Amino acid sequence: MPLVAAAALPHTPQLLVRPDTEDRDLVVRVHAACAEVKRALTDARPDVIAMIGGDHIEGFFLNAVPALAVFVGAEVSGTFDRYRYTFPVHEPLARAIVEQGIEGGFDLTYSQDLVLDYAFYVPLHFAMPEPPRPIVPLYVNVYLPPQPTPRRCYAWGQALRTILDARPERVALLASGGLSHYPGTDRYGSPDYEWDRQLLTILANGQGRQTASLTGDELDKAGNVELRTWITLLGALGEARARVICYEPSWHHGNAVVTWPV
Amino acid sequence: MEPHYFFPPAHAYPLNRFLFALKSNDSVRAGYLADAETTAREAGLDSEAAAALRDLDRDRLVACGAHPYLVFMAGLRLRMAGTPAAFERF
Repeated sequence: MPLVAAAALPHTPQLLVRPDTEDRDLVVRVHAACAEVKRALTDARPDVIAMIGGDHIEGFFLNAVPALAVFVGAEVSGTFDRYRYTFPVHEPLARAIVEQGIEGGFDLTYSQDLVLDYAFYVPLHFAMPEPPRPIVPLYVNVYLPPQPTPRRCYAWGQALRTILDARPERVALLASGGLSHYPGTDRYGSPDYEWDRQLLTILANGQGRQTASLTGDELDKAGNVELRTWITLLGALGEARARVICYEPSWHHGNAVVTWPV
Repeated sequence: MEPHYFFPPAHAYPLNRFLFALKSNDSVRAGYLADAETTAREAGLDSEAAAALRDLDRDRLVACGAHPYLVFMAGLRLRMAGTPAAFERF
């Protein structure tokens, strides 16, 4: 069955737990944009939320660093501060993605034992449809080099779309991440917002394929290592034109919420 | 120029392992807040890394081979543990 919804959302933890360094009005505007996605997802009535996210060295540490991975357990949990999340996982779809992905030439890692990263549950905190749906966490390595190339991410997204289109479930495909930010570096306070704006224009023009030609160095320089999750989604969406619900640059992070018609 | 998120050097593994625990493990974080010196020593940190961590000195930690993201989130979680009322929860 074709996808029933597609969106990309930020996951910065300051959206969930706001220190006084963050502009409250901006945070609330991003919440409102996420609520718009929540309404769209509710209206789309997906059977499952497949979410492409980048692990923040939470589920995977230096014991094993998969480029691309899928969680294939019965449920998955994560915690942050006083927040506790557990999501049922759509095991048949997760397993089909692993099996057919490997058959299609993508050497995926899978796991039935992972701590869920906030890249997944922060967006779901604000955008999970009513009633809640099971999820499939799809991992793209963004923070531990060498990361998969944008070209590979895009190709994985194309393959993923082929797999999903042949499935019986109504799938909403989301990407979590971005845009420009440099946590833990000396550029933390100076993201590349101009780069973000140019990217969003490209996406609004339906030219997402261009992101497959970016290099890892370009993503790192632009504070957009997490864009690999978006690029994977773009591989699944082809020439669809993005609708930018919001772009809210904070003092350290370009918060973008985007949907695509499917 | 080296990327912002550089390949984690093998010599920094004890430091990165400890930063990972500080960000993700409540009991390790509480233990560190109770006795930083002993906890860092038992985790295998050398004196320079332990001092940089005590000062939450991002640039010194990164110079020791710490993964920048781990520095960021370990620091945030330590601040959250130290001043929980300073954060608004949604």
